[in-house]
Amino acid sequence: MNTTNLKPKVRFEMQTLLLAGILVFLLLFFGLNDQGFLAGRSISSMAIQLPEIGILSLAMMITVMIGGINLSINATANLAAVLSGLFILRFMPESQGPMVIVAMVGISLLIGVITGAINGFLVGYVGVPSILATLATMSIFTGIGVGLTKGQTVTGFPEVVGSVASLSPLGIPMPFLVFVGITVIAYILLGRTTFGFKTRMLGTNPVASKFSGINNKAVIMQIFIFSGVLSSIAGVLIMSRTMSASNAYGTATYVMLTILIGVLAGVVSGKGSVLNIFITVFILQVISTGSHMLLAGVRGSSFFKDFAWGVLLIIIFIINYFTHGRRKE
Amino acid sequence: MLKKIVKSSEFVTFTIIVLLSLIIGIINPAFFSLATVFDVLRASIVVSIMAFGLLLVIIAGGIDISFVAFAALASYGTHMFLLSRGYNGGIFLYYAIACVIGLGAGLLSGLIVTRFNLPIFDVSLAMMTMWYGFIRFFIGSTKNFKLPEGAVGYYSRFLVTVRDPFVGEAGLHFSILYVLIIGVLIHCLLKYTTLGRGIYAMGGNREVAIRSGFNIKGTLLVVFGILGVLSAFAGVTHSFLSRHFEPTLFMTQNLDVIAAVILGGASVTGGKGSVLGTFMGVILIQLINRAMVLTGITVEWQQLMIGLVLAFFISIPAIRDLINKRASRAVEVPEEI
Amino acid sequence: MTNEILRVENVSKAFAGVKALDQVSLTVQEGEILCLVGENGSGKSTMIKIISGVYHPDQGDIIINGHSYKQLTPIESMREGVQVIYQDFSLFPNLSVAENLVINEQLSSGRRLVNWKETYKTAERGLEEIHVSIPLDAMVSELSTADRQLIAVTKAILAEARIIIMDEPTTALTQKEIQSLFEVINNLKAKGISTIFVSHKLNEVTEIADRTVIFRNGRKVMDQDAKNLDIKTMEFYMTGHELDLDNSQLAQPDQQAAPLLEVEKLGLRGKFKDVSFQLRPGEVLGITGLLGSGRTELALALFGETPADSGTIRVEGREVTIRSIQDAMRNRIGYVPEDRILEGLFLQQTISDNIIVRIIDQMVNKIHLIRAGASKKVSDEWIGRLEVKTPSGELPAKSLSGGNQQRLVLAKWLASDPRILILNSPTVGVDVGSKASIHELIRNLASQGMGILLISDDIPELMQTCNRLILMRRGRTFGVFDREDITEEQLNQEMVADRVFSI
Repeated sequence: MNTTNLKPKVRFEMQTLLLAGILVFLLLFFGLNDQGFLAGRSISSMAIQLPEIGILSLAMMITVMIGGINLSINATANLAAVLSGLFILRFMPESQGPMVIVAMVGISLLIGVITGAINGFLVGYVGVPSILATLATMSIFTGIGVGLTKGQTVTGFPEVVGSVASLSPLGIPMPFLVFVGITVIAYILLGRTTFGFKTRMLGTNPVASKFSGINNKAVIMQIFIFSGVLSSIAGVLIMSRTMSASNAYGTATYVMLTILIGVLAGVVSGKGSVLNIFITVFILQVISTGSHMLLAGVRGSSFFKDFAWGVLLIIIFIINYFTHGRRKE
Repeated sequence: MLKKIVKSSEFVTFTIIVLLSLIIGIINPAFFSLATVFDVLRASIVVSIMAFGLLLVIIAGGIDISFVAFAALASYGTHMFLLSRGYNGGIFLYYAIACVIGLGAGLLSGLIVTRFNLPIFDVSLAMMTMWYGFIRFFIGSTKNFKLPEGAVGYYSRFLVTVRDPFVGEAGLHFSILYVLIIGVLIHCLLKYTTLGRGIYAMGGNREVAIRSGFNIKGTLLVVFGILGVLSAFAGVTHSFLSRHFEPTLFMTQNLDVIAAVILGGASVTGGKGSVLGTFMGVILIQLINRAMVLTGITVEWQQLMIGLVLAFFISIPAIRDLINKRASRAVEVPEEI
Repeated sequence: MTNEILRVENVSKAFAGVKALDQVSLTVQEGEILCLVGENGSGKSTMIKIISGVYHPDQGDIIINGHSYKQLTPIESMREGVQVIYQDFSLFPNLSVAENLVINEQLSSGRRLVNWKETYKTAERGLEEIHVSIPLDAMVSELSTADRQLIAVTKAILAEARIIIMDEPTTALTQKEIQSLFEVINNLKAKGISTIFVSHKLNEVTEIADRTVIFRNGRKVMDQDAKNLDIKTMEFYMTGHELDLDNSQLAQPDQQAAPLLEVEKLGLRGKFKDVSFQLRPGEVLGITGLLGSGRTELALALFGETPADSGTIRVEGREVTIRSIQDAMRNRIGYVPEDRILEGLFLQQTISDNIIVRIIDQMVNKIHLIRAGASKKVSDEWIGRLEVKTPSGELPAKSLSGGNQQRLVLAKWLASDPRILILNSPTVGVDVGSKASIHELIRNLASQGMGILLISDDIPELMQTCNRLILMRRGRTFGVFDREDITEEQLNQEMVADRVFSI
């Protein structure tokens, strides 16, 4: 049988090229409008906040890939920060040593696993639709955090907590390195392992997946745990950067942004590109910082940013409609 | 017939409301008073109106989260506009202008969804972000407490008041009538018009609905229009009741309204739902809130409780399915052939 | 009585340069039952879509009730009395029977309001016309497939259909229900309503048709009184060549070999009970029975999807517990499901990925990454061995035709080297040519030592491929027959009878 490789992946790459094109356009647009934009300082300031959204976007993406969604990612990040923060304040409030970092990261990861397992249980074993399950767990996780902190922000951490965000090995901000590292891991996991393969198959057709011997429940559990762990890592970065842990950080907006990034990056059930997510995160950050600088001095410029996100998303939808042919909904 | 009622989701919700009320009442007898009823009803007014609008979208098979932004846009926008014109009259003009704005915003979403065949949730995501940004950048970003003279007394216009041993005097605000009227209208739309049946049809099987000749696009436009108008209506009502207008109105509460509609028996995948059920869903959430207050759960833990209740509630249909799978084996294979 | 109600004249239709229909003419008389037969891709679906106005012909005319159309629209077609019953019956699962029956009429009348009393009255009337009683306020989602079909037919009648077109209507029906449907069709005939019956199942065609029309490659190759056509002739015209369906070529399983599978008093509460049989290497064992006989549940129990709760299963002599699909796979049991689209394939994924999905865990290297090269090799090998017609393994599975898709599902399971393979209705919706080659494949697999359980409704298929047959009814087995000991007619009777047939 003739099996020449016809490369039907062309369409997939088109999306990546489109996104890259948009990114370049935006860089030029803002760069030309404001000399300071492409200067080192603004780039590095972007590089510090971008990783949080980036990692959260990956956390969202993998759940969308199996045909679901995870609305609790932000709540998980916050809860991880709050719990590890409270622990540090209780048991090592004066310490400056690496144990603090170990506690911060260790506890956060543990929270990520536990919250992920709860989601995985509800969605995979009980059979609740993920949009409802993560809606509920979002409330639960935030609720635990609010209950423990009485709604207050946790502050007063030892200095060393901030080091994760402020360290710059080789001149590159640590958070950014973490983001890149995680992106690479996600790429390998999703693209080259059986786990990633099964994820894609499950997302494409859960019934056939079951009948093909894939343990759906296990895959769902693993995906949500992975999502929870990613969210908790984002929580660590946020905690380190802001030197605080708050249940109100980000809230709905951050979740929406990650969904927006996912849509822009073309993530659907059974299909998702880590590379697209990576580029899209940059696009959003460029728009954010760029418009902030452009409108510096104009009151409420961050609101204009939101306005722009919404319009941009609609435009991308419409472009998709025309380039991918009339989609039959 | 009775069997059908008992099997319906609305009945389940109703049962839970009754049970919950009993439990609360036993723990804290102050609950069983007209004052509580009035209080619950009043808290339900605004959410119900929005929920009735959202119900249509959910029956049609979609989920929208931007309706809260419609409410904010319509109420805050109208207010700032009228304020700048030095308006000092009554509430009617507010409602009129707000509903037009709401209608426009709703139709905009509807047009984008139908013209480009886009998923409702995704578009609503974009719209919500857009509108809140729009409001705060182009209109204003601070709360405003200056009410026109004609609206000042609104919040205390009661339909009926009673003496209550615990609170002194309790009143049922007349805006509950809005809920009644709007509820009846939406119910009639759903049950007695071809358009309404079309909403159910769309949600049940969109392909077949198209094939049968339903005007899907037209129906969706009407649904979005209604969503916009009702959200605007709710936004203005809330603002008058709480005596201030804010640009971030309902920003974190879209999920509460969705939860109410779902708790009321509507199916996430569409094709199922009722006005009565939705109203009960709203009441149920109010009861849960009150249950926590009255049983002494301190404020900071309330969110967790709501989350747990929600988790329990959404697990019910899933668990029911699991049980059904086993129950279908309850009938023994017959002996003779 | 012999009025011409529909005439299609010299219609041609091409899609992207490929001719789906080439100068085809057709007539349908009033009150006639016309069977439209042809393989996938023969043009019969296109013809139906043209008659119902969904497609416009590139050339030719359509004349209904004397009105001539060049560009028929669906609404015009419906107004002329053409009603198509699709495979999903065009019903709303979340609405009541009554509402479903009346909904088209409600829409076409342009009424804005719904009068429920009228709705129920009209629905009642419709059901009476075909002597069917189904509760009017039942939700369609609660009805069986057969009942839904009857509702669809009633709907068509209420819409004052003069021609009802049924596309593969018997796919999900049991023998008994098929007989009921045929009764209804004959009722329609008595009322002067014509039926165009599209089907693959030639034995049904011979039973119900007044006239048979055969399509091949976009052309009409046969148009005759059904009385004069037998199955062999029909097959000849459908495929263009003789099909060797010689029954006597079945390989005999080795009687001395130890059984691959022994099932003893297997039961699942509410589904089946006291099922016992043995499967030897090289044997094809057919399991058949009416819907509700428990045969699918039996298969799923052996595959671990709905595990049995009593009895024993022995694989190659060892007693095993099968409580999950993973357990079944560990015992090298494979299952090719009934609905390949829903249960068997990942349409958007590549053909290769569809093949290796079952064995993906074996395709990894030392650090647990997938070996792309090895995967490609395996999938190419199976594409070749099962003759899946495709230019590339990288194309999505949805690009394949029905018969090739079925081969793909088989490839997936064969790639895992099962010892016992359960096939559930493997040739449903597959054209005659592919069907024969799949049967040959089944026989080949058996001759290589595999044990095959074939669940099927298709009596000729059972007769052609199975060494032995188990009949089930209402959850119990009531007969195990060697193929030599039973004829097609007897089998047919068995399926429909209400009494035990003793041999």
